[in-house]
Amino acid sequence: MIPLYRPGDSTLHRMPVGAKFLGIFLAALAASLFRENLWVLLTIWTAVLSGYLFAGVGLRGLLAQLWRLKWLVVVLTVPQLIFLTPEETGFNVSRVLAVVLLAALFTLTTATSDILAACEDALRPIDRPLRRVGLSAERISLALSLTIRSVPVILSFYAEIREAQRARGMRPTPRATVMPLLVMSLRHAEETAEALAARGVR
Amino acid sequence: MAMFAALVAVLGQLPAIPLAGGVPITLQTLGVMLAGAVLGPWRGAGAIVLLHLLVAAGLPLLAHGSGGLGVFAGPTAGFALGWIPGAFLVGLITQASWPLRLWRTITGTVLGGILVVYACGLPVMAFQLGLSLEQALLLNLAFLPGDVIKAVIAIMLTQPLARAYPAPFTHARRRRTSHGPAR
Repeated sequence: MIPLYRPGDSTLHRMPVGAKFLGIFLAALAASLFRENLWVLLTIWTAVLSGYLFAGVGLRGLLAQLWRLKWLVVVLTVPQLIFLTPEETGFNVSRVLAVVLLAALFTLTTATSDILAACEDALRPIDRPLRRVGLSAERISLALSLTIRSVPVILSFYAEIREAQRARGMRPTPRATVMPLLVMSLRHAEETAEALAARGVR
Repeated sequence: MAMFAALVAVLGQLPAIPLAGGVPITLQTLGVMLAGAVLGPWRGAGAIVLLHLLVAAGLPLLAHGSGGLGVFAGPTAGFALGWIPGAFLVGLITQASWPLRLWRTITGTVLGGILVVYACGLPVMAFQLGLSLEQALLLNLAFLPGDVIKAVIAIMLTQPLARAYPAPFTHARRRRTSHGPAR
């Protein structure tokens, strides 16, 4: 599992996670509040372009991002051309694209571990009310790291199931694949819970 | 919970299984329905929240390896976020009694897994694209058959699983012991 993050050393990379997140959130909000405003749109596109160039992702990286979004563009454009005028369509598509690209910039320039750490820091002040409902900052971050670890485990379960099916010449119907996957995952979850309990984690 | 969040993620990555008519669909929303049905409302919705936190943190866990904050800025954000109340409702209805009743599983899966998700997804899509709700609905009709098939699979999996392997269905089992005689 390869995170979408791209290592680098630009100002954007070194910005605190919270500030970056807030900036993107405000930009997205502005884009959807002033949806008919050409200037807001141009400002955001300028921010996107300068951001990508500044972060060392470059034009090539921007084009790669756009290529990733090719289906989004198709899905956005075709139906709108049916219902709306071409002008409105262009406006809408470019607005959505700008916001998505800006959000992708956050993902590109922020390490997953930094985001998770920031998330934990944000949870810490509200630890007490969390405890009242049976949660805590530690438990949440434990669950998050368990999830990351489980993805390759479950993928290996899937590989096992496929191999067994192939050996018996079975067609992989969704039902015949998901059922053993479910049982294996649930059993693995139980074993993990036992192992955690044995180590004193409740 | 963590395991199920990972399971939903993996279901989104599996090679889309071509169903009748050759329409490839991913099984990610099947995972959402199963999360609610198997884990119950709280832990089911919790698994989806975990998944979304990791997606927002930049891991490519959604269908076809998409992820990152961009997912929550795009026009389909409402659908992804709708999974949270969706899984909750699936769990609430499906696990209202123990042993599970077939009609409850069917109602829960259809209401939570399809209706709630669409109810959250369509307004966001309509707003983002500047369409009306009816137009947005029309666009998404193409996905409805796939979702119905996934609901059927979820129901066909939940019922036998509850009989063969009742351990994870804690919400429903606790309800029974709190009302009826102790185990």
